[in-house]
Amino acid sequence: MVEISAKSVYKIFSKKKGEVYALKDINLTIESGEKFGILGPSGAGKTTFMRIIAGLEAPTKGELLFDEKVVARNGKVIVGPESRNIGMVFQNWSLYPNMTAFDNIAFPLTNMKISKSEMRQKVEEVAKVLEISSVLEHYPRELSGGQQQRVALARAIVKSPSVLLLDEPFSNLDARIRDSARALVRDIAEKLRLTVIVVSHDPADIFSISNRVGVIFQGELVQVGKPEEIYNSPKSFHVARLIGEINELKGKVIEEDGKNILSIGNLAIPISGGYRGEVKVGIRPENLRLEEEPREEGWVEAGKVRVKITTYEGGHFKVTLTPLGDDQEIIVFMDKIPKEEEMKLFVRPSKIMFFKY
Amino acid sequence: MMRERRVLSPYTKSVLHYIALTIVSVIWLIPVYAMIINGFKSNLEVASSPVLVPPSHPTLSPYMAVAHVLETPIINSLIVAVIASLLSTILGSMGAYFFYVLSNSYFRGSGMLSNFLFSLIALGTFIPYEATLIPLTRFIVDINLLNSYPGLIVSMLIFYIPTAALLMSLFVTVVPKSLIEAARLDGAGDVKIFFKVILPLVIPGFISTLIFIIIESWNNFFLPLVLTTTPSMRLVPVAVEAYTGGYGTLYNETFAVATLASLIPLIIFIFLGRYFIRGLVALGGAGKGV
Amino acid sequence: MKKTSFLLILPTAIFGAILLYIVFYNVAISFTNWSLLHPIPSFSGISSYANVIHSFYFPTSLIHSLELSGSAVIFGNILGIGIAGLLYFLSSNKARTFFLSIIILPLAISMAVNALIWLWLYNYNLGVNWLFLRLGLPYVPWLTSTSMMMPSIIIIAIWAYTGLPALFYLASFLGIDKSIIEAARLDGASSFKILRKILIPNSANGFIVSTALLFLFTFRIFSIPYILSGGPTNIFMQTLVVFSYYLFTTEFFAQASALSTIIILIATAIVIPYALYGIKRWIKK
Repeated sequence: MVEISAKSVYKIFSKKKGEVYALKDINLTIESGEKFGILGPSGAGKTTFMRIIAGLEAPTKGELLFDEKVVARNGKVIVGPESRNIGMVFQNWSLYPNMTAFDNIAFPLTNMKISKSEMRQKVEEVAKVLEISSVLEHYPRELSGGQQQRVALARAIVKSPSVLLLDEPFSNLDARIRDSARALVRDIAEKLRLTVIVVSHDPADIFSISNRVGVIFQGELVQVGKPEEIYNSPKSFHVARLIGEINELKGKVIEEDGKNILSIGNLAIPISGGYRGEVKVGIRPENLRLEEEPREEGWVEAGKVRVKITTYEGGHFKVTLTPLGDDQEIIVFMDKIPKEEEMKLFVRPSKIMFFKY
Repeated sequence: MMRERRVLSPYTKSVLHYIALTIVSVIWLIPVYAMIINGFKSNLEVASSPVLVPPSHPTLSPYMAVAHVLETPIINSLIVAVIASLLSTILGSMGAYFFYVLSNSYFRGSGMLSNFLFSLIALGTFIPYEATLIPLTRFIVDINLLNSYPGLIVSMLIFYIPTAALLMSLFVTVVPKSLIEAARLDGAGDVKIFFKVILPLVIPGFISTLIFIIIESWNNFFLPLVLTTTPSMRLVPVAVEAYTGGYGTLYNETFAVATLASLIPLIIFIFLGRYFIRGLVALGGAGKGV
Repeated sequence: MKKTSFLLILPTAIFGAILLYIVFYNVAISFTNWSLLHPIPSFSGISSYANVIHSFYFPTSLIHSLELSGSAVIFGNILGIGIAGLLYFLSSNKARTFFLSIIILPLAISMAVNALIWLWLYNYNLGVNWLFLRLGLPYVPWLTSTSMMMPSIIIIAIWAYTGLPALFYLASFLGIDKSIIEAARLDGASSFKILRKILIPNSANGFIVSTALLFLFTFRIFSIPYILSGGPTNIFMQTLVVFSYYLFTTEFFAQASALSTIIILIATAIVIPYALYGIKRWIKK
């Protein structure tokens, strides 16, 4: 296990049109044994950061330390990737196509001074854990996606790495087996007590594995915290949207009869807290419902809305609607197609997020 | 906890790496170096000066002495090489596109036709010219083109159209099939598609092929050796051969001839060679890297 | 396919037909007795072939040709892989293009000129031996010893053509998914091990293309032995193509054609499988 810390790390690419900042002033310490997730949209710089940790790239400015020892500084790799003892699962697995699964897994061991029999024992051990013992003599092209991923994982952990890096490790898997793959990786990481860093644009990958999350946006580390913090109180609207679909709405908070009311077009939602005037709010679709009557505690009627269009997505109907007298679009999920054009909208006020303008 | 190993630092490794490449490059450049420096030696100096030692008093007189000898051959070579390579590359490219169309159409015998034509152009590209000596000479004599530009050009087209077709068929296949299908749906015929759609898209490959064939045709020794008999029709490589004469001659003039003869292909290579290299490396599946 | 599509192949087809005509014309002559002594050719079966094969020059020139091409294939591949490996691990694209240009530069110089340059580099006192003396190496009797004549030619061929395998191996190497190489780095493999275990085993295309090109290009080298030996008669440097030119200049036309047919057959035996499997494989990749 190893503690990894980045001290004001920059990665700058010089292009014809000037300099592009892939990473801007990253300061972060990942504790030894921690399962750390890096979340960000594609192109945000998260993969660049992971490659800098792996030693495949050097930070343009700043330092990277492993257990307080500088491994890269100001454009120079001081300890090369081959000496950092890193296990990495690449996005496309990157198995050696000319080697069998066994040879793939054994390859890192061939670069250490250990006996053939010990090597065989280690490979078989890890293959057993990952349930790929039966395919060890096969070539990568003869394996299914899930098996390839397990071989890649086996290759990464067989050398008992000090840190395990996972670069979008599930994006190339069928959605069907993704969850079991996530569970497998989490269990392995737990069992081997590795420092794990997982990079993904998919919050499901991050939340299933990590116990702390950093969100990267346009090269900047915008928020670091526990998964539930990121989920419940995202620092910005961008972070909120990364985690899941969210309605971004402009409204006004006014006082009526001593109560604060959020008004969006004709919609009026009683809220608590000291917001006033023009506000930007985020409401997740699961906190909105189109119904006749409220069924549960905590829901209030906001007002009438007009249904614009209904589409289908991921097991439910996605209804786009607008408040009356306002053209902001609101998305709501339903399990049936709304019957009428004008319906009542219910909302859970406690779940509304307020953002800075 | 990092693995401690006795490895060279990345910096040392990179220095050793560059030293190794520099040594190889220096060895590779020795003949070119010798070619260039020795044309500047005086008649007095060459008698005892090793060919790897630069001239002590550089002089242009060997170049002056041989310039007139190469004047006509260089003009001849320019005419023949430029015309032959342009024609070969354009006509060969058309053939290459035909192969591409053929390999995507499935009429009876299209596979066999494609294999036959492909073998034929490969044979044309790689056949030892020397082995066609007698019938080729007879053919050129029969069509009354011995000792003429058209004769030389036609003989080169026999070998370089296939070369161009082969090289270009490597480049043409990179054009997506759907683009051709779209052009067809728009009512364009294959000839039009070739000139309006394909050719503009394969310009880098076209230039690579053109460079290769200009250099090949400029440097071809055998065809002009057997197809020209009058000194006024000589091409550069044949004119160069007159300067062999064993070790008896003064080598400064030999090297001056060699340098002058290589000037044009070397200039083309130095300025355009990287396109040629990039084009071929791209075929290996590597878009960038060189 | 429309009929006008065939217009595209017309020029290639016409010149391909001329090529075939020439090849078959050559075969036809080879079955005659045409020579200085028989200016009017008449059919004589395979007697020309028998005469060529039984001639004193045939076995030696065949061996020389195979020696030349075989050595070029072996050393060209080895050097090509080595140089491509050195180039592959450069981090700068510019440096890579620069060094590759140097290795491939000899292709821009005609073989006739190469012959001139090397004739002098091989001079016993004034050539590279002068450098060898200063480096403490012994003098090499390049063109003065008959046993060194073919090796001298082979060195020129390797110098001239190693750029091709270097380029094609480099292309193959660069075509391998970069993350695979990075994975190997993280696994602690050295550059040399990556070359041996990953780059080379995944470069079948580079091997096929390089081998075929090295064989075919060196098989038809004419001007080097022709110029270095001062004519086509020096049996220690006589290759098949030089021998056939010799038969032509001495006006044994039928025998020259018979030998040419043999040369074309050898070349074709390499060309056709290479074209149908090698090049098409390269294209499909």
